[in-house]
Amino acid sequence: MMQIKPILSALRRHKAGTVLIALQIALTLAIVCNALYIIHERLAHIAEPTGVDEPNLFAMANLWGEQYTKQQAAAKIEQDLITLRQLPSVADATPTNGYPLRGGGWDNFITMKPDQVDKTTDAAVYAGDEHFLRTFGLKLIAGRDFNADEVRDMGLREAVTPPVTIVSKTLADRLYPKGDALGKSFYSMSSTPITIIGIVDTLHRQDVSTWSAPYKGQSLIWPLRLAQPMGVFYVVRAKPGQLADAMREAPKALYAENRMRMFPAKDGLVDYRQIRQEAFERDRGMAILMGVICVVLLAITAAGIIGLTSFWVGQRRRQIGVRRALGATHRDILHYFLTENLLISVGGVAIGTVLAFALNLWLKQNFALESLPLIYVLSGMVILILLGQGAVFAPALRASRVPPIEATRPA
Amino acid sequence: MLKMTHLSKVYRTEVVETYALRDFNIDVKEGEFVAVTGPSGSGKTTFLTIAGLLETFTGGEYHLDGIEVSQLNDNARSKIRNEKIGFIFQAFNLIPDLNVFDNVEVPLRYRGMKAPERKERIMGALDRVGLASRAKHYPAELSGGQQQRVAIARALAGSPRLLLADEPTGNLDTQMARGVLELLEEIHREGATIVMVTHDPELAARAQRNVHIIDGQVVDLAEDPRFHTAYTAAAGQIRS
Ligand SMILES: Nc1ncnc2c1ncn2[C@@H]1O[C@H](COP(=O)(O)OP(=O)(O)OP(=O)(O)O)[C@@H](O)[C@H]1O
Ligand SMILES: [Mg+2]
Repeated sequence: MMQIKPILSALRRHKAGTVLIALQIALTLAIVCNALYIIHERLAHIAEPTGVDEPNLFAMANLWGEQYTKQQAAAKIEQDLITLRQLPSVADATPTNGYPLRGGGWDNFITMKPDQVDKTTDAAVYAGDEHFLRTFGLKLIAGRDFNADEVRDMGLREAVTPPVTIVSKTLADRLYPKGDALGKSFYSMSSTPITIIGIVDTLHRQDVSTWSAPYKGQSLIWPLRLAQPMGVFYVVRAKPGQLADAMREAPKALYAENRMRMFPAKDGLVDYRQIRQEAFERDRGMAILMGVICVVLLAITAAGIIGLTSFWVGQRRRQIGVRRALGATHRDILHYFLTENLLISVGGVAIGTVLAFALNLWLKQNFALESLPLIYVLSGMVILILLGQGAVFAPALRASRVPPIEATRPA
Repeated sequence: MLKMTHLSKVYRTEVVETYALRDFNIDVKEGEFVAVTGPSGSGKTTFLTIAGLLETFTGGEYHLDGIEVSQLNDNARSKIRNEKIGFIFQAFNLIPDLNVFDNVEVPLRYRGMKAPERKERIMGALDRVGLASRAKHYPAELSGGQQQRVAIARALAGSPRLLLADEPTGNLDTQMARGVLELLEEIHREGATIVMVTHDPELAARAQRNVHIIDGQVVDLAEDPRFHTAYTAAAGQIRS
């Protein structure tokens, strides 16, 4: 530490290398701390709870081979559900328009008044019968479940607004922050008031893309049964430990009942392991890409530091010898190079901090990234300073082994 | 102050063993000014580097200021170099990245001296060599003679008891050489022990005592005039 002043003045005589390494450190810091934050966001996204009984659930997309009227479709679907619920490995089944993490799905504007122009917020909409809560394993924390007579059939291209709904706690709190949502009502793209009769603890949206991030966890369930020849999913809850059996038996039983159908390759028969896999493929890919970028950048920076320091050590052998002759110990020489690197690193991370926030600003404007928390910049600083000290150690150790006799060797 | 007995130094390479010093005996008393002369390759520099603890030796004994040095570890040797010994090299060996002030400061920093005392000593030393006004200059901006004076200031600033100089005037013209020698004489008068290697018999003659090395051994010229002839011939060759 006591060598700072002369080290700085010596560095002034090696501007090009010093500036180059400092800038490399700065850029690496800027990119690495933003990348780490993106990784964190993606992983947090992947880890979001769905609120459903994932280990025991699977979903089937059913396509009929014939055209049906609304009544015919309703009857066919009802028959399928009876068949499914009778299977020994099945606990319950429900027809629905989608399930959490499926991607896409219905999404409605929510308003507090019928004539309100701007939406209050946005909610994912699930169509479900009186089996919906039980099948998904949702936790009702207030109010009640649907009664069978509240559930209405909804044909293709029909617009039905049921007067009652069950909402996720997140949506309830969003609409009624005081926590008194039960029994209150709101509007959703019609003049029919919709009364909240129940609140479930957590129900993730169907959608997983970044645009819906502000509406995270805001879902509502309408007592609707789709009476349509397509777009219907059967979500089945297996008895504990019998998921594989249920997934094998369910399609067989449905085929046995009616051969004129198919379960498409995609989404035809999926459990939550697959659903998650597909839903977060891009997030995982992004996290891995960012991780690779970090590792590569850090490696390049470390290599740059090792290279430059090795070059400097070679160039300064004689003056290292002179220093040794004048009384420097091994340790003094080691400290000299460590301190020199520390000074360059500190300069680099100082510039890098500014760059990191600038890059974050740009990412915020263009890719809906959140503000970079300071902790990421601080961690990035620590990582880069440690990296620098680590990278410089080997060449510094070599420098410390230059013998004092080197001072007398002809130049 | 400096006593070597039966000291030897062997350089081993894959093919040859060179005895740079063999059965080397010398005793330099505290406060002496000794000039070391001898033909090229005779072992003068080797003697000086061992004396200055820049290098280890192969056999024999070396007592520096009463301490047998062969048992000392590297840190202890660094400390002795730093506190007791001042070096003046033929090639000046200033650090090109540092200005004159910072160069003179180097050994003082390794001594852990406080800044105000360092500054006082540096300016004092630079004053003595007449270069106080050049403190902010870099070595490349100075003449050879000035650089050597900075090197002397660097050696002086730590007030060493022993000053080792290897051909300090070898790269200088006669006039500058004389100036350097006058400085050394002045330092000697103040009590430092000085050992100076030189090729110049005229400079050597101004020392209190001359030691001649031939083939890695100290030779008494007074007792064996044949060597004297051989030596002056060799020295003459080198100078021409
Ligand atoms: N590092 C080394 N490796 C091998 N041999 C060496 C080494 N250093 C010196 N020598 C040999 O040791 C002998 C003494 O060398 P030294 O440098 O002490 O001579 P010198 O008297 O200083 O000569 P000069 O007047 O030319 O400076 C020479 O034969 C030289 O070749
Ligand atoms: Mg020599």
